Amino acid sequence: MTSTAAPSIRTTRPSFGFLIALPLLLSLASPVAGSTLVQEPSTGDAPEDIWSEDYINMIFPWADEGERILQFKEYHSYETMKQRMQRLAEENPDIFEFHEGLNGGVNARGETTNADTYEGWYYGYSSPWLKITKDVEGGEYNPFVGDNGNYADRPDVLIVGNHHAREWMSVQVPIMQMEVIAFSYNNIGYDNDGDGRVDEDGWGDDNGDGILDDDGDCLALDSSVQDSNGDGTPCGPGDLGVDEDYSEQWITDLVDSREIYLVPMLNVDGNIYDREVFCPAPAWESCPSGGWRKNLRNNGPQVLPDLNEQVDEDCDGVDLNRNYQYEWGFPLGATLPGAPGTCTPAEDERLGISNNDVYTGPFDTSDNDGDGLINEDNVDGEDDDNDGQTDEDWNGGNSEPETKFIQDLTEMNDDVGDGASEFRSTLTHHSYSELILYPWGHCQGCQTPDHDQLIFHGDQLAEMTQYTNMQSSDLYPTTGDFCDWHYGVHGSYCYTSEIGTAFHQNEVDIDHIAVRNLGTGFYMAEIADAPRERADLAIANISQQNYLKQPNAVDIPDEGDIPIDVCVSNAFPYSVENSVVKWRQVKPSRLQSDFGPREWSTSPWESVQLDVVGGNACSLSNGNGTLLRAMVPIGETTTGELHYKAQVATLGGADFYQYPDDGDYYVLDVTYRAAFGSVAGALFTFSLVATFVWGGLAVALRTMLGTDEDVDLTQPETAEAKDAAIENDGHED
Amino acid sequence: MAESDQFNGRLGLIFASIGAAIGTGNIWRFPRMVGANGGGTFLIPWLIFLFIWSIPLVIAEYAMGKRSRTGTIGTFRIFAGKRFAWMGLWTAWISTAIGFYYAVVSGWTLKYFQLGITGALTGEDVDTTEVWNAFLQSPGQVIFFQFIVILLVLGAIWKGAKAIEKVNFYLMISLFALLFLTLFLSLWMDFSDGTLDGALFMFTVDPDMLFEPEVWINGLSQSAWSCSAGMGMCITYAVYMRKDEDTVLNAFTMGLANNSISIIAGLAVLSAIFAVNPDPLATVTGGSSAITFLALPEVFAQAPGGAWGPLFMMAGFFLALSFAALTSMISTVELCVRNFVDHGYERERSVLITGIALFLFGLPSAVLWVKLDSAGVAFPEFLEVQDHIWGYGLMFSGLFIAFSIWKYGYIKWRSEVEAGTAPDGFSGYLGFGVSAFRDDFINTGDNDMEVGRWWDVLIYIAFPILFIVLMGSYFTDMIANTENVWSPSNPKGLSIILLFWGVVAITFMMLNKYLIARPLYRNIPEGADVDISTLPGGSDELVGKVGDVIAGFEHLTPDAVMDAELAA
Repeated sequence: MTSTAAPSIRTTRPSFGFLIALPLLLSLASPVAGSTLVQEPSTGDAPEDIWSEDYINMIFPWADEGERILQFKEYHSYETMKQRMQRLAEENPDIFEFHEGLNGGVNARGETTNADTYEGWYYGYSSPWLKITKDVEGGEYNPFVGDNGNYADRPDVLIVGNHHAREWMSVQVPIMQMEVIAFSYNNIGYDNDGDGRVDEDGWGDDNGDGILDDDGDCLALDSSVQDSNGDGTPCGPGDLGVDEDYSEQWITDLVDSREIYLVPMLNVDGNIYDREVFCPAPAWESCPSGGWRKNLRNNGPQVLPDLNEQVDEDCDGVDLNRNYQYEWGFPLGATLPGAPGTCTPAEDERLGISNNDVYTGPFDTSDNDGDGLINEDNVDGEDDDNDGQTDEDWNGGNSEPETKFIQDLTEMNDDVGDGASEFRSTLTHHSYSELILYPWGHCQGCQTPDHDQLIFHGDQLAEMTQYTNMQSSDLYPTTGDFCDWHYGVHGSYCYTSEIGTAFHQNEVDIDHIAVRNLGTGFYMAEIADAPRERADLAIANISQQNYLKQPNAVDIPDEGDIPIDVCVSNAFPYSVENSVVKWRQVKPSRLQSDFGPREWSTSPWESVQLDVVGGNACSLSNGNGTLLRAMVPIGETTTGELHYKAQVATLGGADFYQYPDDGDYYVLDVTYRAAFGSVAGALFTFSLVATFVWGGLAVALRTMLGTDEDVDLTQPETAEAKDAAIENDGHED
Repeated sequence: MAESDQFNGRLGLIFASIGAAIGTGNIWRFPRMVGANGGGTFLIPWLIFLFIWSIPLVIAEYAMGKRSRTGTIGTFRIFAGKRFAWMGLWTAWISTAIGFYYAVVSGWTLKYFQLGITGALTGEDVDTTEVWNAFLQSPGQVIFFQFIVILLVLGAIWKGAKAIEKVNFYLMISLFALLFLTLFLSLWMDFSDGTLDGALFMFTVDPDMLFEPEVWINGLSQSAWSCSAGMGMCITYAVYMRKDEDTVLNAFTMGLANNSISIIAGLAVLSAIFAVNPDPLATVTGGSSAITFLALPEVFAQAPGGAWGPLFMMAGFFLALSFAALTSMISTVELCVRNFVDHGYERERSVLITGIALFLFGLPSAVLWVKLDSAGVAFPEFLEVQDHIWGYGLMFSGLFIAFSIWKYGYIKWRSEVEAGTAPDGFSGYLGFGVSAFRDDFINTGDNDMEVGRWWDVLIYIAFPILFIVLMGSYFTDMIANTENVWSPSNPKGLSIILLFWGVVAITFMMLNKYLIARPLYRNIPEGADVDISTLPGGSDELVGKVGDVIAGFEHLTPDAVMDAELAA
């Protein structure tokens, strides 16, 4: 058949093709998650062979590349820091609570304070800080401090940056810790360096071989690129590939079990003044060596405080780290702490000549205990006047809003109600000179009762930063410093980290120096449970012996729960009460793709109590140990992965001995252990299904074919056959 | 006068419908679901939902297509009314958008058939992951096989219903034969140790699992997707039905045949895996990814029968898989083409346009974002994202069908109330509204089996409940298991899905006026009684039948005539 009419092709309306194409064009524009092929991990010698481009360029995953401040390419100011803290607190309301200063009330010394007490003299801001813990909105509320999330069973740690205004890196390091916590919390298994492996290189030397680069990726580089931060040490901390892929699980566990008080910028007044007035940008050029150090207390010439007067650079300010009360005001060494400065104009104040940078603050002339005597019992831990009370009438110190804030935050944070501070470990960031300092600072040739233990933890901090660990007073003696007060008055294991190589470190060095110092804050949080006991057990080489049995040593029984064993040293004071094996299962997600690799959903961690297995010793490298066992309730029909780790507590209160000790977990493949079925049952089901499906199909086909003559499709189609079919239809209709 | 385009016989329609229903989901998804959901336990919800969800919807689709005699756009224009023609466009779009990447996936199966038949998968030291990665990471290869698939499909549907009928017939018969061959070899493998572990597992009901809601939800989703119910395929094929076709019987046959194939494929796959794998369930439910292309070649390579057994098994299985994919692809393309033809476009041109679009828009899925997962297995992320976005959009097509039915019931009852032939009030609605669609379009006298009240119950009550359960569980699951699920920049997040659905739906609603300004040519067999006057779209002056000259669109008719003549 032919048609004489030429087919005319005319379209006057939007074509269907267009209609259909439109959404697809949209879908092509869907966000590009990265279109390059993932490279196989290799041991090549160029960074590009190993890591992601972002990691190589130190582009951090918590912000866009262009956000220079959030990328640690520029310094935070007070404003940007505060905004960021508030933003993260909004985005992570379950773990972050933002505060400024304290509410005030009647403090531990019976003084009445209010929120104004903690505001800086000059600009009037209180120090912003974050309370970080799991379920931070829950727990007890502390009306004086103003924070929620106080839990009696969670050790507390205090981390403070920027006592000294010009020490800018001391702000950046705690801010990076804050960013890392926000990003890592419950973001388990993030591949920080993009090498396809996760959590392969945490802070410090995990395996005890003396090499920080646990996974050896930096060491595998060509030697010309092993010193990416240019500090002269190949594959040192802060270099690409060193301690770069820490365990998000470990960080999550820390946040779950600790209360972290993070004060990135204590000296807001001084920092603003240093940044905006004293050292015009770029500060590393205008103030290559000096800078503003103290707060902005007005030291004269008018009566104090004279808030209307401009800052007098020749005499204003108090060195906050000489203003704490413990052994306050003892003039030691080269520094003359008692006077604010000459208060005479100098040509260039940035040289810091006429102003006393270590002014301790004014003498206290009040009768603190109301006994009619003044300053008869200074804060030194001794009952100087033999009146049965200790340190009750001090001669000075804690006179500044900033130090009062630290004092009251420390003394009023008492979750268990025993009158003692909760901060069993404290860390204060300073700069510079690449040191870790432990108490004492006020005396030379003296030792604390915890001397060996303090050295031990200091060595750990020094190992991960490759800084030098020393007693504070061996650098130079100080008076009234943060750590002497925290250790001396509150028994807190306190460290001062001296970050970097300059006060105003050039901004190109912010990122790698912050990375280098990132681990210290987490370490202090870890040991906040029982720092002394931890040190003792480690020094005696006891805690290092404990281990969790690896997957290949786990004996999966034919039926019943799966035993997970921890072997602890006989000398290890384990407490069965709080020791658990945590486990979870990984199941295929229902949402997985039909086309590619499978996606997994991980069930939340559950805990099973560890118990002593009677008469069942286990072997340690130095003898026999005690076997603790948890029975993980996994049924015989379960198949897939079992993740497990152990958390062992001690009688001395340490609750965070984690195994495996890199904060990760082991993965055990669990096979299906039940019978696959019974023959009789299977036969029954089969006959049921067969009847339904095949029987039903047979009936349907039979009915259909019985009422219809079908055309033989295998025959070439002919007009006759077709006509016949149509006729047939017609007849039956 | 123009002739309509029709299937020759009942089996033609059945084979085409089964071809549409049976896809890769029966062969690679079903065994996995059985493995992950307690073996035989899974069969129970899966079978129940066949009767509760799939078959009632297929009945509805056949009934609608048989009456409207147009593709999805026309069907919704007639059944839901002029304002709702966009629902048909949605249905067509979702199916076509899935077709874009489904062609790529079909290409994979073809490639694996080639690998199987050439023995490239059976050697001593074949690393199936390497083979898979090498293939997926060579864009030329993937595109080549995608192109072949599209060529094959275009060839099959070029000439219309009769060709589709024949191609599907041969492909389906071959698929049965190949699957039986594979099943035979699998059972032989599994029985070589004296037990049939795989079969035992597949048919053993675990009473504990039976009370797991997840098993039921998985059974529902497997039944909903595998059967293609509510996706517009059966509307499309119903256009080619002869005038007295039995819609109910067809629906049952299609659904049961679909499930039969699943059982055979499931038994074949599970038996083979249980025969050689020390931890078969980990293989099926966990462990290795992309089981079809990674695990199965490894398993099949250990088939008995010397060198030939593995070769037969491998080639046979993947050829069967290819056929399943091809027949589904055919129905996808036909669904799209039918809509063009309905609106006065020449068939050949429509086929060509659809083919070119399929190829071009499938290219990104073929080559973009091919990544390695943590286990070092390549996966096509762009394709997955496409699937993520459009996969659940399919459910709405089913909802729209139900909507049309509910709407018809209501307006029919109201008009009868107006005319005084039906009582007002809820009991009147129950008596005259709810059953209206069934009375008017299903029980037309062509069926051997009268459809009873049960169908109304399922469509009016069971369907909406199950729809909410399905969507609800999908989204809760996604929200619970996806990082940054609300971030619009997460291609696997929820925002992206809602955004695309929203944009597409709104665009289509805005385009509705163009759709209904275009004439619609119904494909009506001679002597068929296809009265649409009681339907919402019944008074549409632009709706005619093939060969009609519609005022204002005279230029379209000659094409239509030629189309029909060529088809004859």
